[in-house]
Amino acid sequence: MAEVKYKSGNAVVVENVINEEAPCVVACPIKQDARDYIQLIARGRFEEALRVVLSKNPFPSTCGRICNHPCETKCRRAKVDEPIAIASLKRFLADGSFSISKPEITSSYSERIAIIGAGPSGLAAANDLAFLGYKCTVFEAQSEAGGMLRFGVPSFRLSRHALDMDINAIMNLGVEIRFNTRIGENIRLGDLLNQGYKAVLIAVGLQKSKMLNIEGAQLNGILTAIPFLYAGSRGEGVKLGKRTLIIGGGAVAMDCARTALRMGCKRVHIACLESRKEMPTTDYEIEEAIHEGAIIHTSLGPKRFLGKDGKVTALETVVCKSVFDNNGRFNPTFVEGSESVIEADTIILAIGQASDLSFLQEQEGIQGKDALSSIQVTRGGTIAADLATLCTNMTGVFASGDVVLGRGTLTEAIGQGKKAALAIHDYLRGIKRKKEEEILPLQELSSTRLQIIKKQGRQRMPTLADEVRLGTYEEVELGFSPALAVKEAQRCMNCGAGAVVNQDICAGCLTCVRVCPYDVPKIAVGDSIAYIGCDCQSCGICVIECPAAAISFKSTYEDWGEAELESALKAHSERSEGAEEPLLLNFYCQYNTFPADEAFGEFAKNVKRVRFQCLAKANPLIFLKAFEKGAKGIFVTVCPQDECRFNNTICWAEKRVKYARGLLEAVGIEGKRLKLISTTPINTDEFIQWADQVTKEAEELCSLKENK
Amino acid sequence: MIVADIKPFKEIMRLVKNYRKICVIGCGTCVTVCHAGGQKQVSEVAAQLRLAAKLEKKHLEVGEETILRQCEHEFIDSLEGLVQKYDAIVSLGCGIGVQMLAERFPHTRILPGLNTKFMGAPTEPGIFWERCVGCGNCILAETGGFCPVTRCAKGLLNGPCGGSQNGLCEVSPDTPCVWQLIYEQLEAQGMLDTMEAITPPKDWSVGQGGCGPRRLVLEHLVEEEKDKHKIAEKVLTRNDCKK
Repeated sequence: MAEVKYKSGNAVVVENVINEEAPCVVACPIKQDARDYIQLIARGRFEEALRVVLSKNPFPSTCGRICNHPCETKCRRAKVDEPIAIASLKRFLADGSFSISKPEITSSYSERIAIIGAGPSGLAAANDLAFLGYKCTVFEAQSEAGGMLRFGVPSFRLSRHALDMDINAIMNLGVEIRFNTRIGENIRLGDLLNQGYKAVLIAVGLQKSKMLNIEGAQLNGILTAIPFLYAGSRGEGVKLGKRTLIIGGGAVAMDCARTALRMGCKRVHIACLESRKEMPTTDYEIEEAIHEGAIIHTSLGPKRFLGKDGKVTALETVVCKSVFDNNGRFNPTFVEGSESVIEADTIILAIGQASDLSFLQEQEGIQGKDALSSIQVTRGGTIAADLATLCTNMTGVFASGDVVLGRGTLTEAIGQGKKAALAIHDYLRGIKRKKEEEILPLQELSSTRLQIIKKQGRQRMPTLADEVRLGTYEEVELGFSPALAVKEAQRCMNCGAGAVVNQDICAGCLTCVRVCPYDVPKIAVGDSIAYIGCDCQSCGICVIECPAAAISFKSTYEDWGEAELESALKAHSERSEGAEEPLLLNFYCQYNTFPADEAFGEFAKNVKRVRFQCLAKANPLIFLKAFEKGAKGIFVTVCPQDECRFNNTICWAEKRVKYARGLLEAVGIEGKRLKLISTTPINTDEFIQWADQVTKEAEELCSLKENK
Repeated sequence: MIVADIKPFKEIMRLVKNYRKICVIGCGTCVTVCHAGGQKQVSEVAAQLRLAAKLEKKHLEVGEETILRQCEHEFIDSLEGLVQKYDAIVSLGCGIGVQMLAERFPHTRILPGLNTKFMGAPTEPGIFWERCVGCGNCILAETGGFCPVTRCAKGLLNGPCGGSQNGLCEVSPDTPCVWQLIYEQLEAQGMLDTMEAITPPKDWSVGQGGCGPRRLVLEHLVEEEKDKHKIAEKVLTRNDCKK
């Protein structure tokens, strides 16, 4: 079945049902399973969440901070209120001290692989090759690893500790990095193959800052971005004038402005060709730069530098009419006679980077086996590589990252590194891989759903206080606490991983169609079984109510309270104190409880808690099971209707309790052993009061006869 | 569809009290739709049985299974290996399913877990109404599509009676008077004159209880003589087993 048609009102809707995935996953160059780790965070299962992240991403700490997160741009929640803070949640996992066992490296191959450049792309390749079983040596011209992450990204956005965490994890896999080794100077490219490396990956990035070829470019006081940022990150002051002007509209320009402000310059301006909408960086970076005091002049092109006594004094600008031509190529046009002047005694150029491929030319003249001079280079100065395999025209030589992309993002570079690792493995093992089928993003939420889904804005990232920020290179963003992370993760709609009908056992009873609070299940046109589309919000009501037990969640992380119940029973059976006290269980909704969870100490010792992602997921069977396994009473604490994460699910929890009570009474268990309490455990005081009340109820239950 | 309701649990307990290994078997068609005998109810009854046994400190092994239809030999055959492992089966099929299982597995006690109620439909979520008694001679064309045989408490063919009050039946305030519905329907269709015709007494012999169990024969699907022998042998063998 490739598509499903169903009627919605008078319209017939067609949905694709194969090769589709949540847009957050599809948008990511490394196909990071954002939804899965966020759903695990929402359940407080942080270790498992981190394992999901690490299975694809060797730079969780770094990506959690500075990724341009296309996943958030494509997040379906954006249309409801705001996208999920996916990157910040990843950072939360990377920063936490969660102990997860190191995945085992199961294979081992004798071939050694040389990687040139210890930037994100080279290190990502090294990471994946190490897991595949190869020994890699990374040749790095600098004395430290990280490439542009270390030399270009300021520490107030990416602390060096955070970067080192990622790099150390990669080095701990046995990856060797030879620092201060520049290919072309200390060792020739051809020598690598002679030294027995069976494959070479060129991941040297773009190392040269582009210069402006305009009048006055030789004046003193004109700097380039990367050396400036590097000095800043190392805490080395750069002598700036009273007015600093940054030329450029990307993330590097914003970083330069914010660094200049930290160096004590009071008047920092940014001039860029692009209009505000065209600026090639995230809104967040622009807003932070403005917030910290930078003034941005958009749609201005540099005409010439003005100077006095050999020192720059100003930039003459001209209004930029358009940056790109009709074919989308960079081809700026200007308004004649629109010249104006921005005074500045320091000007920093942040107009992009260019490759330095001089090490390829040095191979010229080498004959025969060592001849590497003919590695193809594009007109734009990047290495020409097959985009599917990233191999160059030279057998055994691959290239990835910015040196192929021209200008790419962090995750694109990591993605290419990973792709190159697999391509090298395939090359060495003679594996032919089928072209992967294209995965499409799920369609957008229907307008019906947009109106029904409850709005809940995203959690704000705690940041350094404004008055402290500019005096330090410490990270501005402070990271989510566990409570904030869980709260934020709980906003995730679990796109594409919600309810699915087993067509073999669906009886076509229409129960799901009738109980869904979001009107998602439909009977497909020309069919007699239910179809649940990608707008499913994973409230779980249909799963529990389906009389054929034909509905389940596609995702595996929903366990319907089973694991929690098991651990509660285990904890009770292993207790030493109060062994004679009866086991009482509190079934609660995690959506409104987690922030006050620490106050749980207020409960009596014999009360154990079982959490659900909404109590509409509590199957009557779990009540029966709890009593079968020895519980003497259950308190179900439901949230008040207006605090419910879903729509109209509280009534379902109430119905469920009533139904389960009927089943229990039929067996001979008094109905009052199963109680329902509506509560708002948001702030701690209230929560403790509530806990007291529950404990009292518990005592009352304990006094019931236990002869059955 | 056939509508059934689960038996009171105490009754199920009484039925199984002498057995140590029982299997609850559901049916994936009609009784699934009316939430009486699908896999969900199978799991619930099984869980109740386990819990009850635990409270009585008895050992009881309870299995769970659901098949597509308990009224077809071919589907029932798939249960053979499973049924052998148990002392008794609680069928959550309708009365037909229970009988079919009993015929197929003569060595095993087959116990009904449901009370089969009627042929009907859900008129709104969770509410099922009887709509047909299988009288064997349908008169819906004359009554605007509303069945007085099923829905009139007196089974009147020339209604309504004097007990029709404000559109409701005197028997129960929840029950609409079907003759009121018939009247309104025929009026809306411009066919009220139909009501003036007197319906003669109905031939009840073709209905339930007329002359023993009813039978339907589809000649074109009946198996050849030689196959019949095989079937007869099969039945004989089963009867032999019973002895």
